[in-house]
Amino acid sequence: MRTVTFLPGYRKIEVEPGTTILDAAQRAGLNINVVCGGQGKCGKCVVFIQSGKVEFDRQKYGQFFSEAELQKGACLACETSVQGDIHVVIPETTLIQEQKILVEGVENRIDFHPSVKKYYVELQPPSLADPSPDLSRLLWGIQKSGGPVAEKMYAPLEVLREIPGILRHSEWKVTGTIGLVPGGYRLLDLQENDTSSRVFGAAVDLGSTTVVAYLWDLVTGKVVSVASNYNKQISCGEDILARVNFARKNGLAKLQSLAAESINQALTTASNTAGIDREDIYEVVVAGNTVMTHMLLGIDPAYMIAEPYVPVVRRALSVAAGRIGITCNPNGGLFVFPAVSDFIGGDIISDILACGMNEREEISLLIDIGTNFEVVLGNREWMFSCAGAAGPALEGGEVLFGMRANPGAIEKLTIDPASLDPTYSTINGIRPRGICGSGLIDLLAELLAACVIDRTGRINTGISNPRIRKTAHFPEFVIAWADETEINKEIVITENDIKNLIMSKASVHAACVTLMKEAGVSRREISTIYFAGAFGNYLDKKNATTIGLIPEIDPDQIRNIGNGAVAGANIALINRRTRKILDEIAYKIAYIELNAESSFMDEYTSSSFLPHTDLSLFPMVQKMLDECRIRKA
Amino acid sequence: MALKALDIYKLLPKKNCKECGDPTCLTFAMKLAGGKADVDLCPYLSEEAKSVLGASTRPPIRLVRVGVGERFFKVGEETVLYRHEKTFYHPPGIVFRVRDTQAAPEIAAVTRRVRDETFTRVGADLRFSGIAIENTSGSAETFAKAVAAVEAEQAHLPPVLIAKDPAALKAGLVHCGSYRPLLHAANKENFREMCALAKQYGCPLVIRAATPEGLVQLVKDCTAEGVQDIMLDPAPETLGAFITRSTQIRQLAITRSVPELGYPVFLDSTLTGQQDAAIVLGIVKYASVIVTDPLTPGPAKAALTLRQNIYTDPQKPIQMNPGLYRVGTPDKDAPVLMTVNFSLTFFTLQGYLESTRIPCFMLIVDTEGMSVLTAVAAGKLNEFLVRDAIKKFGVENEVSHRKLIIPGYASPLSGRIEEATGWKVLVGPRDAAEIGEFLHEEWKK
Amino acid sequence: MSFDLNFGWTSTIGEVMLGATKADGGTRRLSYRIGGGTTLPFLESRADSPSPLIALEICDYLPFWSPIVKNYCGDLVNSVGEWAKAADASYGADLIRLYLTSTRQRNFSDIASIRKTVEDVLSASSLPLVIEGSNEPKIDSEVFQTCGEAAQGERLLLGTAEAGKYRSVAAAALAYNHSIIAQSPIDINLAKQLNILLKEIGVQRDHIVIDPYTGALGYGFEYSYSAMERIRFSALKGDADLAMPMICSAIDSLTIKEVREAEPGLQDELATRWEFYTGIAAAAAGAEIICVRHPGTIPLLRKAFTDMKKPAGPSAVR
Repeated sequence: MRTVTFLPGYRKIEVEPGTTILDAAQRAGLNINVVCGGQGKCGKCVVFIQSGKVEFDRQKYGQFFSEAELQKGACLACETSVQGDIHVVIPETTLIQEQKILVEGVENRIDFHPSVKKYYVELQPPSLADPSPDLSRLLWGIQKSGGPVAEKMYAPLEVLREIPGILRHSEWKVTGTIGLVPGGYRLLDLQENDTSSRVFGAAVDLGSTTVVAYLWDLVTGKVVSVASNYNKQISCGEDILARVNFARKNGLAKLQSLAAESINQALTTASNTAGIDREDIYEVVVAGNTVMTHMLLGIDPAYMIAEPYVPVVRRALSVAAGRIGITCNPNGGLFVFPAVSDFIGGDIISDILACGMNEREEISLLIDIGTNFEVVLGNREWMFSCAGAAGPALEGGEVLFGMRANPGAIEKLTIDPASLDPTYSTINGIRPRGICGSGLIDLLAELLAACVIDRTGRINTGISNPRIRKTAHFPEFVIAWADETEINKEIVITENDIKNLIMSKASVHAACVTLMKEAGVSRREISTIYFAGAFGNYLDKKNATTIGLIPEIDPDQIRNIGNGAVAGANIALINRRTRKILDEIAYKIAYIELNAESSFMDEYTSSSFLPHTDLSLFPMVQKMLDECRIRKA
Repeated sequence: MALKALDIYKLLPKKNCKECGDPTCLTFAMKLAGGKADVDLCPYLSEEAKSVLGASTRPPIRLVRVGVGERFFKVGEETVLYRHEKTFYHPPGIVFRVRDTQAAPEIAAVTRRVRDETFTRVGADLRFSGIAIENTSGSAETFAKAVAAVEAEQAHLPPVLIAKDPAALKAGLVHCGSYRPLLHAANKENFREMCALAKQYGCPLVIRAATPEGLVQLVKDCTAEGVQDIMLDPAPETLGAFITRSTQIRQLAITRSVPELGYPVFLDSTLTGQQDAAIVLGIVKYASVIVTDPLTPGPAKAALTLRQNIYTDPQKPIQMNPGLYRVGTPDKDAPVLMTVNFSLTFFTLQGYLESTRIPCFMLIVDTEGMSVLTAVAAGKLNEFLVRDAIKKFGVENEVSHRKLIIPGYASPLSGRIEEATGWKVLVGPRDAAEIGEFLHEEWKK
Repeated sequence: MSFDLNFGWTSTIGEVMLGATKADGGTRRLSYRIGGGTTLPFLESRADSPSPLIALEICDYLPFWSPIVKNYCGDLVNSVGEWAKAADASYGADLIRLYLTSTRQRNFSDIASIRKTVEDVLSASSLPLVIEGSNEPKIDSEVFQTCGEAAQGERLLLGTAEAGKYRSVAAAALAYNHSIIAQSPIDINLAKQLNILLKEIGVQRDHIVIDPYTGALGYGFEYSYSAMERIRFSALKGDADLAMPMICSAIDSLTIKEVREAEPGLQDELATRWEFYTGIAAAAAGAEIICVRHPGTIPLLRKAFTDMKKPAGPSAVR
């Protein structure tokens, strides 16, 4: 056995030689970022070997690191195996951030009303004097322990069959698991002896690209681990449309099982990290978009992708986990969030639950941006929603040096107005390989303020500065010179890139304005703007407003809720009482089809200006830009 | 009229009972706001709410029918001053006038012209709308003969009878009363007789006065006599007078400030001495019936085209039928250019392609009239649409190559189109004006 | 009962000066002040509100021009000076719009000829002048500078700025105090955006004329018509970035199918009526400059404008 010591906390664990550092860390209770599920693809599980012998293929995986980092002993935890006793440093950024941001807040705020409880009972064995059947004896025992009224509990056949053996084998000392399901109180499980401390539940965000799962201890009401991995359906198609078409050709079964497997992988990883048994997971709450939800449940989504865009079902559903291949406790249940329409799914309802806009009188605006965006405007009385395609620019697609939020992506940036030199920081602090969404937003805002671009995003090639260049194709601005970058090329942004970004942000803003017009609400009446989606984590609110991505409100009233889908799923898991209102929320939301709104295209063109054609909608931005211009002159 | 969905929602019972057919009161409110639902569908509305909501849905300008049968037309029920606010609904009838002092064969020839002449553009057959017969002679008998001459042609066209003397109209109506002619005109001296004739034959009646007060008074008088189908002739002496008075009538009618002015407007384009200009102004400034002397080809085509253009719904752009169009005589090596079926896009591109003199194919896909930019943003223009169009219109049989030129603004789709179709995609210019240069440089290679 | 039309206008259309007389440092025999509208077109009660101006478009290189014009005008079109003179003396135009079509030839570089052309036109006619420059980014700047300088002091209207290319024409206009035509593709938002961009580089509002781009009748004209109505409406409701006079030039009128394929004897009639119907409708929507290429259209428009301006008597409205 070899000893692995994890720094900076000096956590130690003994492992067999050949064990990957990732496994070792998970066993030691350290939650390392494993976005790609440990396949050596995402580069997020960076660790530094301080001392000791390991095996790591630098040739193959060196691309994730700079020379300097490799010198310091950088390697990928998932692809590095322990050979001798080692000391490993896990940088802060490699640990799952979300856990820190959300978990603390979440645990404090949610009322604890789990839907699964365990009761340890010590029963009197039957006798001639007391011949009541096993089931009623058990249920009465549970009731006496503080459980529900016996008549209200029932046992499914599978559990019923186990009862006689378990009761006698354990000498009448058993733990019954009672889950509150739509049918009533259901005996989910019977185990020998006292297992009452082992009740777990999972809240899952089933995204098209990534799946995130939070594992909770339903006795203490605390998060025990978090896991995330790619949605395996990607192998059948990059985006939803492609996958549905795949299903049309090849049947739904494969996509259904891939969806279930993606969740299972997350559950497994989370269970391993927490050191618990998957069979002790009695409930899984899932929030996903409407098509994903259909596919997970094996319901044909074929009719959803063409007019009139009708889902098969949109209400909340409770399903036995085993029926769709989820490997938690076989009698465990799956609760699936309801949807509003084809395009506003359970993930958005989950966002709403997470930010609480449905409880307040004040009007809120919720924006969830991914490749597609969804917007919800309203309060506890009414809500309007819409959805659209932002295009991939805000996630780095369609931008020459754009990339997703992976190591090496420039995520924050400022530009010196005099020299036009940018100052930036990248994810994981390594040299830049490209620029991701939040960095692009910063870049656009800074270029505008520095008068490098005009309000249509065109670069002023008349400025003489080596960073501003005309080329055979589009004029461009150099963000980083070749010797600064990781890829040995200059990182630039072109006028075409900027145009794509403006088009993306115009879609989002136009959608917001369309909803506001429908509701007769001006930006002054919006009390809070919520951002959700993975994108939301790193967004600079001021810059997002400067470029007109969102309507202008007091910046203190703009909140990132990060992964709202999992946040809402967490709430629904921990507080079952919130599930009742989900259908109501979904039902109440009026969906507006942007294509059918004649004013949308008009507003889109109006929004294709920085920040907007109607400058009176952005007075603070105007003021700031005027000041920049004065300083420039 | 400008009630927002939320304002309407506040008036609804909010029971979400679904009896109106909508799942929630909010979605019903949205439909009401968009004029897509009937207030009566809600069984729980208070009378007050109904009148507030209902009031805004009654049309402010009366619908008036002229003529019967296949060629009849209807005008009115307009709701806006500017077509871009919503649309202009009922194109004006443009009517050729004959005078009863003309010889019968001439009259017959004009009638035949209106009956037969058709100018086809953008897939629509444009025609003049009817025949006006004017009592220039002053004699009832001559007038009746002229009307008879028109009707002898069996054209069944909507007639407009123009006479100062009710007796002449009476004589003329004998010959064409069954065709629901428009009668011109009642004034404060003759309105009783005119109304009697209108009632007798069930005809719409034009009333004529040079001031809004005069028109209002006559409307009151004629409706008191029992005539409901009325049109207004504001008796303009100049083109400026027409613009002013017609605008005034339209605005006061749609704002319901003066409901008595809620009727379609009549214009005789020759009375101001400038026929063509009057026709243009009549079309753009709210006239519903325009009487003109027979037009020569230039003004005829221009007038019909202008009417078609102005009365197109601005929110529904004109669409071409999707398909494979030829420019010149393209052979198997000719370029194939894909674009949307928005007519403006089509014609613009076609025009530029024609001037390059390079024979080519235009593959027009169905984006429901959306322009390239809109269709891309809305996801309507996508790789599946292109792939299906290639298949449907047999493009692979027409050309031996597999290269598709797509509009510059559709460049984000290029990779996906290549994957879906197996064709190679060349991204063309964003501005159709540059297509010539593009073809010369990129295609010839 | 009130017949007042309370449109609720809060603002007026800005004014632009075209042409400079000797008193103002130029050599034009008159100058125009366009714009200033206080309500919808032709509803003005003030007697001195201007009529739309009629501009005749001419060019210095014929192959890009419709043959109908040459057939009508004869050989004078071969000399840009002769043509300008005719526009003024014979055809009765208010303005001459000179298209430097020669610059659109491939690899054009003869900037000196441009200067000479401008000078010829300036001496051939003392009407205020509109000059349409090149379309080629490489020579744009030089062409506009040359025109601007050759016509220094004459208060030209220089065309055309667009969102993607406005710096060259704006530079020349700013340097030599000319006004600019700002063109956008039939979209009120884009028109406003361009005006904002111009403002941000120093072009004064009273030096901008909006060209919403006019599609020919039957080929998108209605979009242009509505764009003009919307711009006018917004301007009167207080949007200062749209409160400029508008120019209408349906350049495709003579090349569209109906006119091109008309029988030889009817071509002039089709051509002039096409331009006329477009011009009157555009004027009714608020255009202050109407451009035509067929000289026959000019008297038709003139006559109509006179009658359209005649006030309505006691029921004139605001």
